[in-house]
Amino acid sequence: MNLNIDAVKENTFDAIVVGSGISGGWAAKELTEKGLKTLVLERGREVEHLRDYPTMMKNPWELPHGGRVPPEELKFYPVQSRTNWINQGNKHWWVNDVDNPYTEVKPFDWIRGYHTGGRSLMWGKQTYRLSDLDFEANKKDGVGVDWPIRYADLAPWYDYVETFIGVSGRAEGLAHLPDGKFLPPMDLNCVEEVLRDRLAEKFGRKLTIGRVAHLTAPLPHDPGRGVCQSRNLCDRGCPYGAYFSSNASTLPWAKKTGNMTMKSNAIVHSVLYDEAKRKAVGVKVIDAETKQETDYFAKIVFLNASSLGSTFILLNSTSSRFPNGMGNGSDQLGRNLMDHQYRTGAEAEVEGFEDKYYVGRRPNGIYIPRFRNIGNDKRTDFIRGFGYQGSASRESWSRGVAEMSFGEELKKELMEPGPWRIGLTGFGECLPYSDNRVTLNKDKTDKYGLPTLSIDAEWKANEKAMRVDMRESAAEMLEGAGFKNVRTYDAPDNIGLGIHEMGTARMGRDPKTSVLNKWNQLHEVSNVFVTDGAAMTSSACQNPSLTYMAMTARAVDYAVREHKKGNV
Amino acid sequence: MNRREAIQRTAMMLGYAVTGPAMVGVLNGCKASPELPFNPKFLTADQAQLVVALSEVIMPKTDTPGAVEAGVPQFIDDMILSVYTQADKDRLAKGLAAFDEEAKSTYGDSFASAKKEDQIALVKKHHDELAGKSGDSSAGWWRASGGGEKPFMVEMKELILLGFFTSQPGATQVLQYNQSPGPYKGCVPLAEVGKTWAT
Repeated sequence: MNLNIDAVKENTFDAIVVGSGISGGWAAKELTEKGLKTLVLERGREVEHLRDYPTMMKNPWELPHGGRVPPEELKFYPVQSRTNWINQGNKHWWVNDVDNPYTEVKPFDWIRGYHTGGRSLMWGKQTYRLSDLDFEANKKDGVGVDWPIRYADLAPWYDYVETFIGVSGRAEGLAHLPDGKFLPPMDLNCVEEVLRDRLAEKFGRKLTIGRVAHLTAPLPHDPGRGVCQSRNLCDRGCPYGAYFSSNASTLPWAKKTGNMTMKSNAIVHSVLYDEAKRKAVGVKVIDAETKQETDYFAKIVFLNASSLGSTFILLNSTSSRFPNGMGNGSDQLGRNLMDHQYRTGAEAEVEGFEDKYYVGRRPNGIYIPRFRNIGNDKRTDFIRGFGYQGSASRESWSRGVAEMSFGEELKKELMEPGPWRIGLTGFGECLPYSDNRVTLNKDKTDKYGLPTLSIDAEWKANEKAMRVDMRESAAEMLEGAGFKNVRTYDAPDNIGLGIHEMGTARMGRDPKTSVLNKWNQLHEVSNVFVTDGAAMTSSACQNPSLTYMAMTARAVDYAVREHKKGNV
Repeated sequence: MNRREAIQRTAMMLGYAVTGPAMVGVLNGCKASPELPFNPKFLTADQAQLVVALSEVIMPKTDTPGAVEAGVPQFIDDMILSVYTQADKDRLAKGLAAFDEEAKSTYGDSFASAKKEDQIALVKKHHDELAGKSGDSSAGWWRASGGGEKPFMVEMKELILLGFFTSQPGATQVLQYNQSPGPYKGCVPLAEVGKTWAT
């Protein structure tokens, strides 16, 4: 009996965080810094900053097969391969699709990384604030439910998070894309400056350098991280810790408090619910290596397992109180799955500037903030809008394949950089639809015996109408800027491929129509918080990670305050 | 070790010297198919000879290293072995055979054994044909050929340029390479930067 009591004691913490990615790392840091003994559970393997970045210093000639991955390795990644982004430098970060199955009722690209830091190791680092244009949109349009928060609720937390992680960008004074606490902006190149000026003159639109979580100046509070060296090899892990990842930033800070216990290979089966206390008491964990089940206990549980991961855990946390999943009295859990659509836009050739070039591989591009359905701009064929990302660059040696020349002549030609090209890709908002949803599939279990997810989601009429404009407006701007041979493109773009899946445990004011309240707290279980993408009530069109981080820090602050008052 | 040395060593190991007409025959063979700079793992010796010769025609040694010195044939052999699917392997083997057959019927010699000017003429012919097909000159020809099977010359050029410019000599001596360039500078006179960045 004593043994049992000791075991329970040993497995008891003040707080449990499920997931160590972008939002989980933040939950871990904030909880431990506030003095809570915190267990962080990561379902994948351990990845230690620097130590476990095997390819970070490799030169092109040091990677096998020119960086290509052989088919006998790729066959484990049939879904992840849809990104066309798996290479010898980053292949160890992708989830094994064979071991981690799900069902696509309609095509849905679920792109994942199961290891310490999750997708924070390989994210795009684009870092934008939402604004009241976004927080008020559902209410104004009568779509979904109203966000229970406004920009003012989140603004101080955006400040807090940006200051800590380091965000480079330029203040532009746009109300709908609020400025942040910026490190110096990265340079635009000569051609991007031309586009910026012509967009302003001819269209009255802004173009700014991408706002990114890369250090362009040292962080006085975090001397362990260095300044970006423009290697653009971020997806291998950064030797300088110059971009924000949980591994380089939040987790080391959580660790040094002495309050964090980190467990890898710990797959959360469900959140444990105590019917008498009407609270969660911990989580059930399956060891990914031994398949042994262990219960861990805590007074506060933060779910940061990614939108679909956290949603899965709640759906799988059934009890007589919650037969359809914990906190699912609204039947909204798993619904309203959103993503961002992209992979459409335009590109053009640029004449001139042959005597100009650049130094460095900037891990960033340009950003054209949303201009649709703002102020006097009013579309009748769709609501909401999109932003553009892109860049200009000079063609490199690969253009030689298509040249008529070969031999000495070709060699000489390729030593000179080729003509400039410029491209724009739209990133469009997706509306919440209750029938874009994930459900538990008990007929198909994974190798741990856990049910799997069925995903049934698609782009609908509003997204499709917007997509046409994303393509055409890109061409219109490049033509208006005077660039040549403007060509639109529209590549296959399953929902999911934006890797911004969100919305499946949405925040709202009413427990009857939403899963989380304005503090990211389950309406129905006061000590369970969800602060990853699942919480999103609408998708906006901005890259969402910064918002997850800000929501997390805000929710932890609330949870710990309420916990001290005995309310959580 | 060149072929003559190899033959001589083998001969010594066997305990007798190869002399007379037999030796002449072997050495003529040596001229017809020069020593391979690598041990092919996928390509046959004949295919490898073709790849060596074609690589050097596309990206020759000048005052800077060429494709063969940069190890491109070995790179191509490895790519086909490790990265190509079986269908791609079969297709490429067919392409190599057809190209060599064309060399033989046009110049009476395998591509590798043909005179340099004949090699260049055949490669040029393939470029001209592709340009003609698209009714376009220069850069249009590859894109215009899209949709169907990638033409043999395009595929080989792709492999050769990829292998060459990701090699150390190609990246650092022909172009320039810096793994850690430092803060990005967006608008610099080309004269200050010099050559194309390898990456």
